[in-house]
Parts: sequence; structure tokens; C-alpha cells
Amino acid sequence: MARRQLEEINAGSMADIAFLLLIFFLVTTTMEVDAGISRDLPYKRDLPEGYVPPVVHNRDILVIMANSRDELLVEDEFMLLENLEEKVRAFYTDNASGNDVNPLMPEYTVVTGPIIQQKITELNKQIELQTDPKTAALYKDDLEKWEKRKSTLETLGRPYNEISGAAVIQLKNQSNTSYGLYIDIQNILKKVVNDLRNEKCLELGWGEYKDLDEEEDAEKIVALKVLIPERIIEAKIEM
Amino acid sequence: MGRFNKNKKKNVPQINTAALPDIIFMLLFFFMVATTMKEVDMKVDVKKHGASEAEAIEDKDHVDFIYVGYPLDAAEGTEPRIQLDDQLALDYSQVGPWKMTKTREGYAVHELVTSLKVHEDVGMRIVSNIKEELRNIDAIKINYSAEKR
Repeated sequence: MARRQLEEINAGSMADIAFLLLIFFLVTTTMEVDAGISRDLPYKRDLPEGYVPPVVHNRDILVIMANSRDELLVEDEFMLLENLEEKVRAFYTDNASGNDVNPLMPEYTVVTGPIIQQKITELNKQIELQTDPKTAALYKDDLEKWEKRKSTLETLGRPYNEISGAAVIQLKNQSNTSYGLYIDIQNILKKVVNDLRNEKCLELGWGEYKDLDEEEDAEKIVALKVLIPERIIEAKIEM
Repeated sequence: MGRFNKNKKKNVPQINTAALPDIIFMLLFFFMVATTMKEVDMKVDVKKHGASEAEAIEDKDHVDFIYVGYPLDAAEGTEPRIQLDDQLALDYSQVGPWKMTKTREGYAVHELVTSLKVHEDVGMRIVSNIKEELRNIDAIKINYSAEKR
């Protein structure tokens, strides 16, 4: 049987096809990498009737105000953006040793096993007895916080100093405060918290904070988040 | 003198283009891997602000984007506008219902991130309104988009 000689396929237009595909991808895609600062907004909770908010001391709140001319007012003092980082850092670190060095910044208290255990039992009892779902939800939020403290204590294996549970950074903006400035402020807050967590992480011998694995080192991350909490509240914009 | 012009007609050998498709394919694969699809056609101008602590969004499938900026089409005016998907929203009250349509199987609304891409000169009122709207429906995960510096 005679073998038929196969004709050579002309591949001359192959390059054209590939070019076409290439150009299609060039046009429809972007190189841009999406990056940003992640934040969780607080849940909207319906407050039960007659709810009395806990007393918050002035020292526990760091108020950062930005006005329509993009000027900063921190704790009622005019401040430049460059100096904000130092101030936020001081908010976390001034009393971190446990000695009340600076009465204007949040207090640190020692958290021990018995305190946590007592609180958790107490809250569980409250939740059981509570008939109003709104109040129960608030207790559950509280219980969650104490569970995290318990986990922290177990991870560290010893009592630790914790910043006042009411310590919070409050952001106030005006209608025309530019988004750019807002990002700058958020960035500084993030930077301080990341730096402090990293320092704590190194101090505890866990290596760099950013190298912690989300799954493997979950307890360590919880502990660091309890030790250096990131609590930001944002006031509604007044007219 | 004339020795250089001895061959009047010089035959240029054909260039072998057999490897050309390979080269183009290589480029093609590079672009396919290194780039991402554009999500939408931009209707507003967004100039992103820089931030040193910005982290890349890894799980893009579970992120919705809201764009706020100055309209590119002059007929839309000069006030900052909100863009949801391919359209300009009339006002911020559309954000909540829009986010509610963006459900994904197996995910609750509080697990899905909303990324705000806002022009750096836009005032905070519009951003604040959007956030309030998202909070009302428990879409609490926010990402403030910023250029990584």
C-alpha cells in the first residue's frame, strides 16, 4: 500500500492568531493590583429600652477630628499629621507597664485566670436568665470578648496587662473632609497597631507578626489582637 | 573600485518565522497570568490615595466594588457620584439594595467585603452615608482602597 505523503500544514497564520489573542488580553485586562486598608464596621445593635451605656472616662478616648479644611484637632489640640503617629502610639504605650504613669491615657489592668472565669460564669448566667433578646445579644458580645481573653491567657500561660476595655479611638469628620486625609489617618492607626503587634510578637518570641499563619497561629493572632486592640468608632457627620 | 558592485542583485534569504508564534504565545501567556480582567467600565474618575499599610486584596471573588468620584461624562455634572457596577447611582440609598443583590452561595452578607474606591478629593459625607447604608444591612466588612506605597 502506498503511503500518502502528508502535506505540510501552513502555519504562517499562527502568529496572526496569537497576536489577535494577545491584543485581546492587552485590552480587556489591567495590571493594577487592588490594595487597601481593611476595617470592620461595628454591627448595628438595637439597644434595649432603658439601656444605660457604661460610663466612659475621658482618658479612655482619643478623639481625632478632621475639619473641612483638612486640619487635625487631636484631644482638642491642633496637630500636624506627622505628629499623629506619636500621639496614637502614646495612647497605647504610655501606661502599658501597668504603672499609671500618664493619667491622661488609658489605664492598664492585670487580667488573671480567676477574674476571667468569674466573668464568664456570670455572663452565662445572665444570658440564661435574660428574656429580652436585645439585652441577651449585648451579653453575648461581652461573653465573646471574655472568651478571647481566656484564650489569650492560655496562649501566654500567665496573667497579662490589658488596656482598658473602654479604650477607643474616635474619628470625627466634617462634610468636606477629604477622603485622602481620612485614608492618611486610617493608615497611621493601622501602622501603629501593626508596629505594636509586631513588637509584641517579637518580644514573645513568635517571630514577625506578618509571618504568622492565619490557621496555624490562630491563637497567637487572637492573643495579639487582645493585647493590642484596634477599636475605632466613627461619629456621624454633623452638618 | 567596482569590486563592491559585482553582484547587482543580491538575494536576501527568507527569514524563518517558524518561531514567531512561539514568541507571541509566550507574551500572551505572560499577560494572561500577570493581569486581571477589568471589572467594569469606569464612569467616574478615581484618583486613589497612597497608603503604606495597604494590603493587596487576595480573594477578589468575594469583594464588591463601589466607585466614588467625579463623572467622566460632563453631562453628568461635576459633583462626585457613586458608581455601582456599570451605572451611576442616583444617590447613596441605592447602595444597600445593590449590595443585597450581590449574594454568593454559602456566604452571609457580613462575610463579603465591600471595597470603596474613592477619589482622594471627595468629601467624607458621601463616604459616611455609604458606610451607614452598608451597616444597616450588616455588610460590615469594608476595604478602603488605596495605592500601595
